[in-house]
Amino acid sequence: MARMKFLCDAERCIECNACVTACKNENEVPWGINRRRVVTINDGSPGERSLSVACMHCSDAPCAAVCPVDCFYTTDDGVVLHDKDICIGCGYCFYACPFGAPQFPTTGAFGSRGKMDKCTFCAGGPEADNSSEERRKYGSNRLAEGKLPLCAEMCATRALLAGDGDTVSNIFRERVTWRGSSGLTWGWGVAYSKPGLRRGRGVEGKAAGKD
Amino acid sequence: MTEFIDGPLWYFALAVFLSGVVWRMFSIFRAGSKPDLSVPRRSAAVSAVMTSLRRFVPRHEMSPRIRLQLVAGYMFHLGLFALLLFAAPHVLFLQEHLLGFGWTPMPHWAFIVTSQIAFAGLLLLWLHRVLNPVTRLISDADDHVAAVLTFVVMLTGCLALMETFTGLRVLHRFTVELLMIYFPFSRLMHAFTFIPSRAYTGAWYGRRGVDA
Amino acid sequence: MNNNKRSLTAHQDDFFSVVKALLVIVLLLSIAPQALAAGDAEPAAKVVNPGAELWREVRQREAPVAGTTQVAGMDSGVLINIRGEQWRTFRMQQLIPAAGALLGGVLGIIVLFHLIKRGLRLELGRSGNYLLRFKEIDRVLHWFVATIFIFLALTGLILLTGRVVLIPMVGHDVFSVIASASKEGHNLFGPLFLLGVIGLFIRFVSKNFPGKGDIGWLLKAGGMFGGKHPSAGFFNAGEKIWFWLVIFIGLTLSATGLILEFPFFGQDRLIIELSLVLHGVGAVLLVAGLFGHIYMGTAGMEASLESMTSGYVDANWARQHHDQWAEACEAEGAVIAGEELAKKQRLRGTKNRVPDRPAAEEGQ
Repeated sequence: MARMKFLCDAERCIECNACVTACKNENEVPWGINRRRVVTINDGSPGERSLSVACMHCSDAPCAAVCPVDCFYTTDDGVVLHDKDICIGCGYCFYACPFGAPQFPTTGAFGSRGKMDKCTFCAGGPEADNSSEERRKYGSNRLAEGKLPLCAEMCATRALLAGDGDTVSNIFRERVTWRGSSGLTWGWGVAYSKPGLRRGRGVEGKAAGKD
Repeated sequence: MTEFIDGPLWYFALAVFLSGVVWRMFSIFRAGSKPDLSVPRRSAAVSAVMTSLRRFVPRHEMSPRIRLQLVAGYMFHLGLFALLLFAAPHVLFLQEHLLGFGWTPMPHWAFIVTSQIAFAGLLLLWLHRVLNPVTRLISDADDHVAAVLTFVVMLTGCLALMETFTGLRVLHRFTVELLMIYFPFSRLMHAFTFIPSRAYTGAWYGRRGVDA
Repeated sequence: MNNNKRSLTAHQDDFFSVVKALLVIVLLLSIAPQALAAGDAEPAAKVVNPGAELWREVRQREAPVAGTTQVAGMDSGVLINIRGEQWRTFRMQQLIPAAGALLGGVLGIIVLFHLIKRGLRLELGRSGNYLLRFKEIDRVLHWFVATIFIFLALTGLILLTGRVVLIPMVGHDVFSVIASASKEGHNLFGPLFLLGVIGLFIRFVSKNFPGKGDIGWLLKAGGMFGGKHPSAGFFNAGEKIWFWLVIFIGLTLSATGLILEFPFFGQDRLIIELSLVLHGVGAVLLVAGLFGHIYMGTAGMEASLESMTSGYVDANWARQHHDQWAEACEAEGAVIAGEELAKKQRLRGTKNRVPDRPAAEEGQ
């Protein structure tokens, strides 16, 4: 069975936030909830890196471990999902999650959190695949249609990869090998062409003399 | 079970409540009063109104002795009616099932604060009832049943605050129906009788020139 | 600090802001040389990916690395929060088992103690004379706090241990309903508990300062293991300890509870996780204390419950358990004979000679 994973290539991510928007649109999540976000570290200074983060579908998920009503389950594809009919909106999963994935609609003041919402790897919920009930509660179920999550499918720089862990890591491994040690530079230039190629075109940039 | 509580039992409870209240009020008014042959010293009607209003505040001599009942009583009653009439699910329910029109409900945070005030008031009142030797002596089963039933209705309502679990909503509705069936046959009727009772007393004494 | 919700964090504890700022400075200092070195690195030298240090920071440092993000929300700039895992370990592997062990253990000890000692009897029997121990307002306050605390303890324990205890018994769907009700009820009654604790403090603090005889009482463990009953005032040392536990743990529970209930004032996950830890530990300790308190107030000590129901205690009870207070009362002549008490209670309602209200007035 596949073991679904996300992998974000920090050398490629350009913080365009298209994955965030695509996710919101595809899953029709309510206001105030973002299942995916892009975090930029050292914004504006050399060494800046961006990563697109959502639920990482952990093999040993802390959210599932702390949930007082035990509403999480892992699908055969290794996707961590939860049952909104059982969730009581306590917020514990958010406190345990390293990635800040669980989101809560705060409809009012005084801790009135609604039911938790998080990235489903576009795999819906416990309801029948692609039922209207499932769509209303969890958004789309692209996996059942044989498609991958939309955030990764439409990533313009192919920074965000989604799919079986083996496949995804093979793609990433290839990239790293191809890049060599060019991680000395930052930004997207390295990701798309060999430094030698750029020198020939007079677009050397910071990678000049490093091949 | 859910269908029964939402359907037949609700209509039964509503019928018992309405007919019971009408019947009790009718029998009280039908009993009437003896013709009063005394020469009126003061207007009975004015005294009736005045007494009805004056009784919202305790008499000066009584006030230090019933401070707890006064404060807790107002906390509970004002809270209860604010919840009954202005809680968002209640407004929605009245609009959809009974009246056909609604009004602006209170925000969620106000609901919480109000219910806390009401709970504190009810709890204090009931504790006073059982801990004070006099009130304990004059309380009978009806008083305790009414207090506990009201408490359970409020509690189940607040437990259903998340408004997503049918079981909790139905539980609240069930306790409400029990309360409605119990209501006309208990001292809970004071919700309807307290003004006529005050007015009667006020008129009776006022006509004789007694400051009651 | 690259915190994009700076305005929200205005209320945040200064301490944590300082700690975070320091950690960010340390982080920046440790990254800076790498970033500078990247500019004039020699091609022949061993190349280190400047990202490596960055990712090490992100994944392993004690403090979460704060970045920027376009998405609003609590800690949304934090890439990896390693505290959550510590909290999870604490909650699932330490707090829940420890809570079960402590509460079960305390219950077991109480049952065992009761089976062996059969509680504390009145040594001299009843005297038929009474002393006023708690005024009505004190009793109302006590039962107000007691009701709310027991409700909070029940709902809290359901939320804490329900997954282990109740889900195997009732299943996920039913437990979810119970847990939702518990959560809403717990949140609703929590703030009332704070008011109750403040009330208890105001009413009882003056009698709970350490006094003469407390050390001796503690050394003899309240006379629990035979021997002469140690001397005590209005409250003995055990009761004083319980009072201060209620006050301090109660205030801690209230403070942390309010932090948890209103997560809208910029408190981040670290503060909330710490609050959950304190709240859980404090609650379990206080519930364990409650078991002891309930036992000593009911089956554990003959004739002690009366002090909280009628407010009057038998003079012999007072002499046995609170000799200093009993002596003071006797010196004041505050001892009430049984018949006198019965008469007094019946007459209390009409003491001020307020005229009877008309019978027509119903239900007031």
